[in-house]
Amino acid sequence: MSEQVSQLLNSLRAKAERGELLYIGENVVRVDSLEKVLGSPVYTADLLPKGTVYAKLFHSSVPHGVVKRMELGAARSHPGVLGVLTSTDIPGLNESSAVLLDRQLFADPVVRSTGDILGAVVAETSPAAADATARIKVEYEKLPTIFDPLEALEPDAVKIHQKGNVARQMKIRKGNVEEGFAKSDVIIEKTYRTQFQDAVPLEPEVGLAIPEDGGVRVIGSMQSPHNTQAAVAKVLKLSPEKVRVIQAVTGGAFGPKSDETPYDVCSTAALAAVKFRRPVYCAMDREDSMVMHTKRHPFVISHKTGVRRDGTLLADESKIIGDTGAYASLGVFVIARATFHTVGAYEVPNVKADSYLVYTNNTYTGSLRGFGGPQAIFAFESQMEELARKLQMDPLEFRLRNMLVPGKKSATSAVMDASCGLPQCVEKVVGSSRYREKAARYRNQTGTVRRGLGIALLMHGNSLGPEGNDYGAVHIEVHSDGSVSVGSGLTEYGTGAISGVMQVASSVLGVPLTRFKLERPDTSKHRESGPTVASRVVVIGGNASKLAAEKLKGKIVPLAAEMLRIDAKDVAIADGIAFDRTHTSRKVEWDEVVAEAFRRGISLKEEGFFIAPPAPWDQEVGQGTPYVQYTWGALVVEVEVDSETGFYKVLGAHAAYDVGKAVNPGGVLGQIYGGTVQGLGYAMMEELLHKDGFVVNPNLGDYYIPTSMDIPAEFKAFIVEVPGPLGPFGAKIIAEPPIVLPGPAVRNAVLNATGVSVDDLPVTSEKVLMGMRQETAAHPH
Amino acid sequence: MSKRAITLTVNGTDHPVQVGVTERLIDVLRDHLDQKSAKEGCSTGDCGICAVIVDGKLVNSCLMLAAQCDGRRVTTLEGLLEDPIMKRMQGSFIANNAAQCGFCTPAMLMASWDLVRHSAQPTDEEIKVAISGILCRCTGYYQIIDSVREGCKRGGR
Repeated sequence: MSEQVSQLLNSLRAKAERGELLYIGENVVRVDSLEKVLGSPVYTADLLPKGTVYAKLFHSSVPHGVVKRMELGAARSHPGVLGVLTSTDIPGLNESSAVLLDRQLFADPVVRSTGDILGAVVAETSPAAADATARIKVEYEKLPTIFDPLEALEPDAVKIHQKGNVARQMKIRKGNVEEGFAKSDVIIEKTYRTQFQDAVPLEPEVGLAIPEDGGVRVIGSMQSPHNTQAAVAKVLKLSPEKVRVIQAVTGGAFGPKSDETPYDVCSTAALAAVKFRRPVYCAMDREDSMVMHTKRHPFVISHKTGVRRDGTLLADESKIIGDTGAYASLGVFVIARATFHTVGAYEVPNVKADSYLVYTNNTYTGSLRGFGGPQAIFAFESQMEELARKLQMDPLEFRLRNMLVPGKKSATSAVMDASCGLPQCVEKVVGSSRYREKAARYRNQTGTVRRGLGIALLMHGNSLGPEGNDYGAVHIEVHSDGSVSVGSGLTEYGTGAISGVMQVASSVLGVPLTRFKLERPDTSKHRESGPTVASRVVVIGGNASKLAAEKLKGKIVPLAAEMLRIDAKDVAIADGIAFDRTHTSRKVEWDEVVAEAFRRGISLKEEGFFIAPPAPWDQEVGQGTPYVQYTWGALVVEVEVDSETGFYKVLGAHAAYDVGKAVNPGGVLGQIYGGTVQGLGYAMMEELLHKDGFVVNPNLGDYYIPTSMDIPAEFKAFIVEVPGPLGPFGAKIIAEPPIVLPGPAVRNAVLNATGVSVDDLPVTSEKVLMGMRQETAAHPH
Repeated sequence: MSKRAITLTVNGTDHPVQVGVTERLIDVLRDHLDQKSAKEGCSTGDCGICAVIVDGKLVNSCLMLAAQCDGRRVTTLEGLLEDPIMKRMQGSFIANNAAQCGFCTPAMLMASWDLVRHSAQPTDEEIKVAISGILCRCTGYYQIIDSVREGCKRGGR
């Protein structure tokens, strides 16, 4: 044994002797890293059995209309085509909806967007299926269209759905805003707009279905296999038990794969598999995905904010309008999260918010990393910057005066407890970026090249919010060779969250993660655990994992005690060795204890189930405790702008997030880097353009996402740990939050460098240049 | 679809294959020769995750016809699993948490391996340029860049 290993072992044993945490907070190797660097065939497209045929979806070519006739003959007779599926081939319900049941799998007869799926061609090869879809002709009776959510709210607007154009309305009523405005010295009213963003998981949505045993086995790229099972079963008119859904290793998700698109590809594949008795692969290519899957909602957010001359926020009234496109999908919860975060990480004594999720004839929007947070925080952090400028106060000092700290109340009147680590986050980024010194230096620049700093603060509610039961089950099984497998209906799609769940079990059991194996989430094996969304896996699944591991430990420890002939309370386990903590040389290998359990017929399978505690909530006034805990964060970015061209780049980013307890710090940093860069894409370049309901740039040549050449040269990331009440060992969520702040931080940095307020994302160089020209025209030298 | 008989040398082994004239290199690698490491992410040459090496050059296998590769040497990640530089790079990717969803990882590894062949101690700027044709949506690239830098240092050449 090398010296390093023995040192590690000794330190682990010393920790175990003292009853301290093992493995948690260490940079462990993810359980799924090896298969990824080996390029192993683990993704859905790698798993097609021999004889698989291909289903290609086809979609509407008008944004609103009634399908009068579909000419399918040419497609059906195309070489290699097995058939064309449309709504008439659906034995069950023609439905592919997550929440409101407003969306069909194959639109019939009304199409409400160009992303509406009409059917699928099934063929022996993928090119044959694609070629055949091009031979389909559809006749429509066109209906009047609405692409602007504000227009959709007009009383005489065309109704996109029978019940009207408002899919959901939310509100917040805290204090009395009129009184707050009356006492205010400065009031600013502004409107902010955000754009469609595409998540661009590098693997688009795909599903494979294999007919078996009077039902179907579905393997696909998704976040929520049990929801997909229910959706497929409904379409096929099968009992859910006849639909077995397995999540393959998933090549990125970011939200759309928790939404309705995985239902579409899996239901279509399953329909075709049952009909043609063949394995069927239904894959969206990039263009299909960018047209047919859910995107981030564009929002129009107006704020009227009142503040006292000393910089104390007194009142905020906001109107929040989210364009959900033709269908609501998970947007009904997105609008809720945006509403609860309407004044961001600040205390405002009087808050009034009214929000509307509005149907239009744009392609539909839904779940995407941040889930309403990026839009809400962009608007309010921009508003904060405008207020600071009007007050002639330093933007940082203005924020420090108003930010949430323990004891202060959020927009929903939730009282912040001691787990609020926002001040520590701010301190980190202000120090690291040398904010005060640089902000002073960058005042009153006149040269061509100008620099600016932008700061933005974050609160991000953990868990699903007041409307969902937040629960999860984790199953742990110890095998006769001492290895441990972990399974759950909660899924892994890149963040490393499930590795974190396993790390928790590893810590409790004292067995290193290298002995652990992840079971593929499988509806026939694992309990329904709600959707894998809201970055909740480590927090909720981690708690379930802890419970299961503790149950197992309750069986292992007495057995080890018996084998060591000591008292159970003296047994400690570390690095797969059970030992007497009073005489550490007295020990027995984990594997031997497990073997003994097997000899005695003791079952080493346990399940842990955890459900977050309910919190008081009044939906009528949007007041109460929508979240059990919050993730806190702060970001400073520094930009350099060429004032002649408007071209700018982000030179540096300084980010700090309070994650309660970093279970795997390397993984936490990965989320901070990755989320921030995805957020910089949102801030600077990404916009899925719609023109008259058609997506103009559904490809990665015209829709830019950041490359390695676009990232800031300097990136300092800090982990702050103020334990929260909900997660295991105090852990808070981290996967989503880092995407939220780059939008406002970049916008504010450009404002401070140039004096130009860009109020609609993304902050493109063109907008900066136009803004500077307007400034020059208004104030010529 | 008319077919053509070609010979592809993939990872050192000659494979006579019948390919359709419009079949792409990625199709033949994945569907005929069971080399699944190259992934399809856009089909238009923009994302780069289908990268393989043809006659010593890093290419997008979705942009090359299989017929163009007749008689040429193709290297995929599967062919480099025993290569010492690649093994070092893989170890570094694991240690630095450079693979999140993993869908771009094979291409990132191919680009990194290709870089190290030409430049044993690349600067960060060279690393960024070397991987700039490959999109990653998870990592923000930093931990990949760290991995390549360390993967080069370890052991040297």
